[in-house]
Amino acid sequence: MITIEQLTKRRGGRLVLDGVGFEARPGRVTAFLGPNGAGKSSTLRVLLGLDRADGGTALVGGRPYRSLRDPLRTVGSMLDGSGAHRSRTARAHVAWVARSNGIPRGRVGEVLERVGLADAGRRRVGRYSLGMGQRLGLAAALLGEPEALVLDEPVNGLDPEGIRWMRGLLRGHADAGGTVLLSSHLMGEVAGIADDLVVIAGGRIAARGTLDEVTAGHPSLEDAFFSLTGAAGPGGAGGAEEAGR
Amino acid sequence: MSPGNTFAAELRKAATLPASGVAAAVALLGSSLVTVLNSVSARVALDAGRAEPGSLTSPFELGYAAVPLGTVGAVVLGVTVMSSEYTANSADAGGGRQITATLAASPHRLRLLLAKALTVVLAVAATAAVTIPVCVLIARLVVGDAAPETVGPQEMLHRFLGAALYWTLTGLIAFAVTVFTRSGIVPLVLLTVNSSLVSFSLLLTNVTPLAHWLPDMAGRRLFGGLGTVEGGLDTVPGAIVMAVWTAGLLAVAAAVFARRDA
Repeated sequence: MITIEQLTKRRGGRLVLDGVGFEARPGRVTAFLGPNGAGKSSTLRVLLGLDRADGGTALVGGRPYRSLRDPLRTVGSMLDGSGAHRSRTARAHVAWVARSNGIPRGRVGEVLERVGLADAGRRRVGRYSLGMGQRLGLAAALLGEPEALVLDEPVNGLDPEGIRWMRGLLRGHADAGGTVLLSSHLMGEVAGIADDLVVIAGGRIAARGTLDEVTAGHPSLEDAFFSLTGAAGPGGAGGAEEAGR
Repeated sequence: MSPGNTFAAELRKAATLPASGVAAAVALLGSSLVTVLNSVSARVALDAGRAEPGSLTSPFELGYAAVPLGTVGAVVLGVTVMSSEYTANSADAGGGRQITATLAASPHRLRLLLAKALTVVLAVAATAAVTIPVCVLIARLVVGDAAPETVGPQEMLHRFLGAALYWTLTGLIAFAVTVFTRSGIVPLVLLTVNSSLVSFSLLLTNVTPLAHWLPDMAGRRLFGGLGTVEGGLDTVPGAIVMAVWTAGLLAVAAAVFARRDA
């Protein structure tokens, strides 16, 4: 369970998050949608304790991330790809991550196998493709068998087969009772997997609810997205007005 | 994320980073090479019977003479432990930085920084423990019986510990400065040049005697016995001043690191 309330964040005098609040519930896949620069990553960075908020709270299971003991056993996350140093091998990367949270060494091989990197584990990460980097990031996220997964643009760079695989994995995690929160700026990737949607634009929540609730009154999720975010596209009206519906 | 786990993870990170190996190799091979050159020229001079009075001919002195240069290795170790966190991955692989994964795994910032500082201490001390004896051994092998050993075991131990302390403190200063800069380039260039080619602090002593209180000048007598400029602080007060600089820089680095966004 992820609970975000009234989150505000300023960066260089500019308000990048303005009262952001939503929940990601167990057993469901929550998609966090918005154009680039809308505040998706900023929200997730505050949630994961990387950046400080100027106001509001972001809690995982009722606690701030920074207060979690062995956080990887509660939340698995991926931001900006794998986070592995380019001159390290994938195996060495996952091994130190495991060590930091007291996760048994045996899990390293297991998660690399799970994401399809068993054969590439001894290759340096700097020579990985974007899709392999995403798989490696996911391997680290799965290490501690966490209840919640928080993933920033997880299907970025994956080929169609990879996207399908990622969807299956996230669906399985939610169906097993886990919480999945993923951000994306691509609606097509999200439509087939999300149970709940949170749409953000200009640092404010434009809409939130189940997939049906958010897309009600729009021909498609894509139309709903453009309409809600006011992004350039068909019917690019202001987002605030739509949010009131 | 118990403190032990955080430290063990940081040790593993440093050990599996190729740059750490390069840094240790710079210290070991660089110092060894200089020792070989110094020892061979001393041996040639000794054999020809034209060793100048007062020149370094004892095997310990010849080996030890290369040790100050090995400080460069300590600088590289201190810098890379921090700068590797902020190196962007290749654009093809998403361009992410390791600091994101590090802070997600170990969100307690002070504990993380302490674990990293201890990693620097351990890595530099281990490098010193190998490099300095190797240099002395090389000098002894080359010079052999051609010159008597003039340095007693007690003094050898003191100077070994002094040099190891100087390296360690310098490594920690390099680490602390890199916390501020995040990129390794500026501290690496400045501190490497300062430790090898030109000592900026030494030049500054010509302008003001206060420069003797700068960390590298204050600590330089830890390399006891080597010819150094006159004036400034004695060994023990100098070491204390250098240690205080190190502790101060680490404290400011910790305050900055705990507060800022990753």
